[in-house]
Amino acid sequence: MTALSVLLRKELHTTFSSPIGYTIAAVFLLVLGYTFSLTLFATKVANLHYIFHQMYVLSVLLVPILTMRAFAEERRNDTLELLLTAPVHEIWIVLAKYLASLLLVLGIYLGALVYAAILDRYGEPDWGPIWSGFLALTLHASLLVAVGLLFSSLTENQVVAAALAIGSFLMLWFADSVSTLLPAPLDLIAINLSLIGHFRPLATGSVFASDIVYFASGTMLALFLTTRRLAER
Amino acid sequence: MVVEQPPAVVASGVSKSYGSIAALADIDLSVRSGEVFCLLGPNGSGKTTFIRLLAGYLLPSAGSLRLAGIDVVADPIAARRRIGYVPESVPAYRDMRVREFVSFMARLRGIDAARLSTAVERVVELLNLQAVTEKPIRALSRGYRQRVGLAQALVHEPDVVVLDEPTNGLDPRQIIEVRNLIRSLAGRHTVLMSSHILGEVGRIADRVGVLLDGRLRGTRTVGDGADLEDWFLSLT
Repeated sequence: MTALSVLLRKELHTTFSSPIGYTIAAVFLLVLGYTFSLTLFATKVANLHYIFHQMYVLSVLLVPILTMRAFAEERRNDTLELLLTAPVHEIWIVLAKYLASLLLVLGIYLGALVYAAILDRYGEPDWGPIWSGFLALTLHASLLVAVGLLFSSLTENQVVAAALAIGSFLMLWFADSVSTLLPAPLDLIAINLSLIGHFRPLATGSVFASDIVYFASGTMLALFLTTRRLAER
Repeated sequence: MVVEQPPAVVASGVSKSYGSIAALADIDLSVRSGEVFCLLGPNGSGKTTFIRLLAGYLLPSAGSLRLAGIDVVADPIAARRRIGYVPESVPAYRDMRVREFVSFMARLRGIDAARLSTAVERVVELLNLQAVTEKPIRALSRGYRQRVGLAQALVHEPDVVVLDEPTNGLDPRQIIEVRNLIRSLAGRHTVLMSSHILGEVGRIADRVGVLLDGRLRGTRTVGDGADLEDWFLSLT
């Protein structure tokens, strides 16, 4: 655990001292504020469904930019050799990077609590779907960060890492649409792989264990594969 | 009564292959505790591969490799605690300040908070880094970066120090400084280094091994180094 805390401190310092994190946060919150205002004035409905969907889309596009450097840059600068020859297990290296990136994304999401507070001030929102929406976003971010790290561990080119991650997220997003073209049982597999299919119920207040298991198991699988990748020697 | 120290590094039948390409084949080598041993060979001879195996960055395809009595494959974490390693490119986090980087590496290598300050100060003094401790690493010259690399490798007082081409890219003055530093480590640490410069080996090492095409062609003590060139030519 000491190694994890040492690595996490270093990763937090790197993550929060990089202009990339702040740029992503600014873009994210700017687009979100714009969308929130438009939606609120257009619908005059006190819920955040539309905002959660916007955050889902923005995360798919922006999280890979946050995670692309994680291992790719370490590999390019040869500092990965320092980490992998230090007396620490690979899992701690992976977890430190995962937690640092996830904390940054969740920090950005916290900004969206302002919209919930505005709804509370001027309307009577149903808080159940709002909390489940934030749960959906947290699980979604966890999966995106873990998969983003996996792609970053596969290459030393940051752009390739980001492109692969965005591509795979888009494929997962539209997996349920593809299911209409597939024979059984592949159609069922495609439906169950769908990112939006598991996000939407949670984001609108319907909490199913299957959706939570989807995000949690996807996250663990990605972290496991990243650790395996680092352990390849 | 003189008690002979066990060897610090023992390689038995070590091989490393990448697919069908053999980078190292059947290396048998024993490095005595406290000596400076240099692997000599041209670029591509397998020196870096052997050093990376020793550092735990790569795993051997066959054979066994023991470091301070610990099998680097069976117990890699324990083996890595006993080693200080400086890769050829001398990697470091360029945005970190020197003291911050050395402290980070010290913590990573298991130095606790109570001993951290003393351990870092010791290597800062040993490597003459006092003037640059608060400078970011990206602002340092190659010579200073090499010293920072050595500082992070020595901060936890390892049994074995492994240096890949430690004088590569240094100017003549820096080469002399690094050479003297490596010599000063002898006795307290076992040093295993690589070089492709024959003249350098005679000045730094106690013993030398010639590696060519992934095979260890021979080892010998350096002595006064007078006939080192002839010996090298006879093996290659």
